[in-house]
Amino acid sequence: MDRGTITVGIAGNPNVGKSVVFNALTGSRQHVGNWPGKTVERAEGGFYHQGREIRLVDLPGTYSLAAQSPEEVIARDYIISGEPDVVVDIVDATCLERNLNLALQILELTDRVVIALNIMDEARREGWEIDTEGLEADLGVPVVPTVATEGEGLPELVEAIAEVATGQRETRPAEVDYGLTVEGHIQNLQDDLSRLGIEERGRWVALKLLEDDPEIVEAFKQGDLTVLELDAPSGSPEALRAILNRTVRLREGTQPDAKVEIVRRRYELAHDVVHRAMHRVRPVEESLTERIDRIVTHRVWSWPITLAMLVVVLWITIQGANIPSSMLDTAFSWLAGRIRDLLINLHAPWWVVGSLVDGLIVGTGTVIAVMLPPMIIFFTAFNLLEDIGFLPRVAFNLDRLMRAVGSQGKLTLVAMMNFGCNVTGVFACRIIENAKDRIVAIVTSPLILCNGRFGAGLALIILFFGDRALSVTLIYLAVSVGTMLLATWLLNRVLFREEPSGFVMELPPYRKPKWGQVIWRSLLDQAGRTIYRAVMIAAPATLLIWVLGNIPSGVPFEQTAIGWLVHSLAPLGRPFGLTGEMLTALIFTLPAKEIVVPSLAMTYGLQTTLVESRAVLDYLAQTWTPLVAFSFLTFFMLYLPCLVTVWATWKETRSLKWTLMSLLVPLVTASVITFLVYQGGRLVGMS
Amino acid sequence: MKIFGVSLANPLARALRRRVKRAPQQDRLVGMEDALKELYELQRGEATVRVEELARTMGVSDEIAEGLMEVLVASGWAEDVSGGIRLTKRGQERAQELIRIHRLWERYLVEQEGMPLEEVHAEAHRRERETTPDEAAKLDVELGHPAWDPHGDIIPEAGRRVPPPAGSPLAACTPGDRLRILHVEDEPPALFAQLVAMGLKPDVEVQVFERRPGRLNVKVDDGLISLATEAAERIHAVPVSVLPVPLSELPVGGRARVAEVKGGGRHQRRMLDMGLVPGAEVTVMRKASLGDPVEYRIKGTAIAMRSTDADSVMVEEVRNG
Repeated sequence: MDRGTITVGIAGNPNVGKSVVFNALTGSRQHVGNWPGKTVERAEGGFYHQGREIRLVDLPGTYSLAAQSPEEVIARDYIISGEPDVVVDIVDATCLERNLNLALQILELTDRVVIALNIMDEARREGWEIDTEGLEADLGVPVVPTVATEGEGLPELVEAIAEVATGQRETRPAEVDYGLTVEGHIQNLQDDLSRLGIEERGRWVALKLLEDDPEIVEAFKQGDLTVLELDAPSGSPEALRAILNRTVRLREGTQPDAKVEIVRRRYELAHDVVHRAMHRVRPVEESLTERIDRIVTHRVWSWPITLAMLVVVLWITIQGANIPSSMLDTAFSWLAGRIRDLLINLHAPWWVVGSLVDGLIVGTGTVIAVMLPPMIIFFTAFNLLEDIGFLPRVAFNLDRLMRAVGSQGKLTLVAMMNFGCNVTGVFACRIIENAKDRIVAIVTSPLILCNGRFGAGLALIILFFGDRALSVTLIYLAVSVGTMLLATWLLNRVLFREEPSGFVMELPPYRKPKWGQVIWRSLLDQAGRTIYRAVMIAAPATLLIWVLGNIPSGVPFEQTAIGWLVHSLAPLGRPFGLTGEMLTALIFTLPAKEIVVPSLAMTYGLQTTLVESRAVLDYLAQTWTPLVAFSFLTFFMLYLPCLVTVWATWKETRSLKWTLMSLLVPLVTASVITFLVYQGGRLVGMS
Repeated sequence: MKIFGVSLANPLARALRRRVKRAPQQDRLVGMEDALKELYELQRGEATVRVEELARTMGVSDEIAEGLMEVLVASGWAEDVSGGIRLTKRGQERAQELIRIHRLWERYLVEQEGMPLEEVHAEAHRRERETTPDEAAKLDVELGHPAWDPHGDIIPEAGRRVPPPAGSPLAACTPGDRLRILHVEDEPPALFAQLVAMGLKPDVEVQVFERRPGRLNVKVDDGLISLATEAAERIHAVPVSVLPVPLSELPVGGRARVAEVKGGGRHQRRMLDMGLVPGAEVTVMRKASLGDPVEYRIKGTAIAMRSTDADSVMVEEVRNG
């Protein structure tokens, strides 16, 4: 028997527990990246079963394989490619009919399919009884009931995968009867195709032509069928175009619309199958979700609830992070001291000790100490809210408001993520499937105050405004959200005048949080990777800053590279009330916004490294007037995204234009508002 | 000589006799089944139906009606009770089935064969008797489980009671009401054809203008039509926006069946893949606090949609009845 690797593609609708199955089967053995050329996540992992390696590839969650979105194209092309030996389709037992729409489309592409009937626990709770054998008989492929969150049914699922892969278990996939008219058309086109030597998947290609499938139609237009991965010769471009013309004629003569009829017939079969296999053993009760939703999406209560949730998450993040942050800070100082001692004992030259300890370790340590704890707390809270199903309701409640600025409800979720970290916020824009809304959300992300700016800014706010700190903080929050909405509105008005924005979103039922998943994702996937990226960029940057502050060596501060920068940048900041020291500090802050206070210490010549010091705060309190402090803070809160965010924007847009735009939008906003604040303040007699 | 109570002396009977010679078995059924359907409708108001009532609604003499009743009783579809007759359970089921098949055919003829509205009744009448329940089920699938026939009558589900005509007679509406015609009675044919010719057919919006003794003046488009009260009795209408409407116009708690998904390309396909296929049932769950978007329940899933997106889905409201 073949002992080779079995490759399995995992398909399914969104919210059916695909990632739960994937994680449960692969454990920590996974690799996360992107699909080639696409900003859609691809997770891969593996495990051993009876001495054979089983490799799992997690396909994007889709409702269909209609090639209408990048996710659908990826899922479909992967199945067509022939790479997977088996496709596992995970379906939600509580809304089986809709899930079978995808299942039947997969069965049209390959016969090596196993269906995992997931979320069986909820279906049972709702009073459903499901005849699994009946389903198997109707669909013609193995159907395994599972409760992935409990691990129930997973061994049987693996068994079924192995059996289908090795051919021990034969499958006879269900075929949809598309009705006399459409079936006639399919037959006609299939005959044409076979005359060109396209026999393999002929029925499927004919069907897709009738469905007006964008990918297939384009392939026929171009006269190039390589995307279909057929072994057969693909005929001359003229012949292919002739088939296309014929399709259009057939389609136009069909009443009702063939495109609609095909989907309808598929659902018809799904309906019949479900009707036969599922039986209610208990009468319908009002579900928990219904009861919760009556409050959460209530006309009046939804507002205080949403607001309270936001405040609580931010408060927990800021308060909860204090202690671990200072502990980490102490730990890094201790580590830096030990290494310094070690290096001095080894008689290392001063610049090695300086750059390595004061530049690299202390700089990077500061970034980690201030970024990591709030990030972990925030992401855990955010993921928890998402996991239980609360966040989609926020998007639902706030969509109308976002529509006023030309965007949609999911923007609120991205904005919330941005409060945690702009980098993760930019990646979170993937949840917006409308390309225009997504680009605008990415570009305006830096306007939302991330944890880094918020925390660092808070220290300065408390220093300068004392007991009025709370109202000043609220002003900055309002400015941040306000400018983001304004920029969104402007971009939509100016750049996307014609394109409509849409909002269609599933509201999944409320579910118990899967703690393992939440913590796993918060710690490793988001916080871990963000910190890793931050360090990769912050480490060389802090090193560079150390170098700038120390060359040429042994000269007075004014003559170092930093002194020179301060001097030359000074005129630029004058209209905004900003000094050269401030601007230079803001440049140093680009790797990570958290290091603004140490940066100021360096640019004011108070110290030559980024080591945090209380001295600088006392110094600033004496030097800056409230107006200057307010202007500086305004500019700091908005001015430019950190370098990691820029990198993320580039990764997500792959466009120089949009990456530059994501720099320009905050820079212009910050300049305009700071100018107004400073000049306005001077007009009313402040100094 | 009598064939199911029809005296051969009158002209109708002579015509019948000619057809009887060709296919006696079938024609006999036609007459019986017409009576069955009438009886079903009549029985809505009262428990029993008298000969004269049946005669009046069918437009035949009492003699003929009596003959028809005898045949119905003899075939087990009706039973004699004091003061008239009553349908048996079998008779009721058969009547429901016939009505369902008739209405399905009418919808089919208008939608798929493009037949003018005035002609479908007769054709559907001809076809209904040759249609088996299995074929009816296929027809239902073919049409996407329609909720309404082209006259605006509800097509009952198989084995379910036929609901009474929706809406109220135009004659009973108050001046100023803006209404949509649901149903125009197709008997007698001459009057029906005349009403249709004047533009009074299902789906047309009208406004009741004024009521005069014996007459009712209604506005259609820009024209004014003066109707005799008897004619206005035969038109049933509902306030505008009950039928077929964009999904976004459905009130919270409303249930409807998808009739059509308009537009094309991506958006249409997305709607279809979400389960909004013709015939699928949708329930409006709730509106967001600012009135938009709206949460719908489609095939067991809650989907939030903006009214602009839901506008492309045309639905036929399902009323409980």
